[in-house]
Amino acid sequence: MTGKGPTIVKQLPERQSKLHRGLFLDEVKELVGESYRPRLIVDLTSCGGMKADTIDLLLECVEEVEHVDGRVSVAANPETAVILELTQLTSVLDLFLSVSEAMSDHPLSAMSPISDMGTTQIAA
Amino acid sequence: MELGALVVTQGATLHAVGNEEARSWCSAWPVVGKTVLERWVDRVRSLQVNMVSVVDRGVSVPDRVQKMVDWAKEGIDQILVIVMGSYAEVDLTDLVQFHQGGRHTITRVFDPEGPLGISLLDRRAVLRELPSTIGEKPRPSRYDFMGYVTRLSSTVAYRKLVQDALEGRCDIRPSGLPTSDNVWIDPTAVVHPSVKFRGPCYVGANSRLNAGVTVSGYSSVEENCEIDLGTSLECASILPNTYIAPGLNVRNAVVDGTRFEHLDRKVTVDLGGVDLSARRSDNNRGNRV
Repeated sequence: MTGKGPTIVKQLPERQSKLHRGLFLDEVKELVGESYRPRLIVDLTSCGGMKADTIDLLLECVEEVEHVDGRVSVAANPETAVILELTQLTSVLDLFLSVSEAMSDHPLSAMSPISDMGTTQIAA
Repeated sequence: MELGALVVTQGATLHAVGNEEARSWCSAWPVVGKTVLERWVDRVRSLQVNMVSVVDRGVSVPDRVQKMVDWAKEGIDQILVIVMGSYAEVDLTDLVQFHQGGRHTITRVFDPEGPLGISLLDRRAVLRELPSTIGEKPRPSRYDFMGYVTRLSSTVAYRKLVQDALEGRCDIRPSGLPTSDNVWIDPTAVVHPSVKFRGPCYVGANSRLNAGVTVSGYSSVEENCEIDLGTSLECASILPNTYIAPGLNVRNAVVDGTRFEHLDRKVTVDLGGVDLSARRSDNNRGNRV
């Protein structure tokens, strides 16, 4: 199988408590676990400020998505992008300045919302 | 002829105030071991000037003028005023000779881009005792300088001066001992044997580079810094008393404590919230073995 899987867009929850991060990760696991070669786009453009836990959460997302041969992209504002580059996360995920830019990098761009936890959109 | 010098700094706290100013060069930042202010003072002292006063730009102009008037009244014949806006390798001896030889009352130094903030004032001009020009402002003469100049305008300009110093394009020589690879390391710095350098680069006093660190691209680590395991510095300047966390890729940036300025992206971020850098205490100096 060489075809590309679905594109999933997830917005990081505004509140970043341990509970919210856990729920976010559970949902990512559920979404990517049902697919092959998914592309997860994490929307950090409205993320107020990066925390050490946010970096850990992104790494966990990368780990989950790579289990099913997928790829994680991040849409981030310039300040967040600087931190992602600094921490070398850009070596394991793709970085874009907006979700639309990240979507246009993918040939399938039809989106449909499926979740209340953060904003989730999926393209098949 | 007795000469006095008044050096007006940019202010030592620029980086701690508004965001726009945050991208300004702070005169407290050292350039491979010494601040531009210290370098100016050294150069002025080499003229055998005994009266050197350094004042912050925040000091009002009338107060600065009063200082010069006091000096003039005390018998200082000429006053060199350096308003720190540039690092310029002006031959101060030649400037004084030009001023005296031409019997100028005020000499201002220019380069092709404009004034450099360096003026030499005759005591008569300071005390307004010029019989032929009573009621008129004395007309300044112009000293044109064509040598090395960097204006202290931005962090990008700061990086350029560091690079020029390491490459030998200006008269600034890094403190410390150079290796054969053009790497200057202060004798008090602690460098793990596994650290890789691609010179020219600089490591300042009491700094520590831990295992696996790489330093390249005209990077400078000023005094009392710690670069933790495996972090790579490329085209970066780490300002004094800064700790950098392990495993980072610091590129095209100036880091001052938790303040990280990316020069390409023109973005400044606070790394304190992500625990990627920190301000080191001065107490760390000399504690490392």
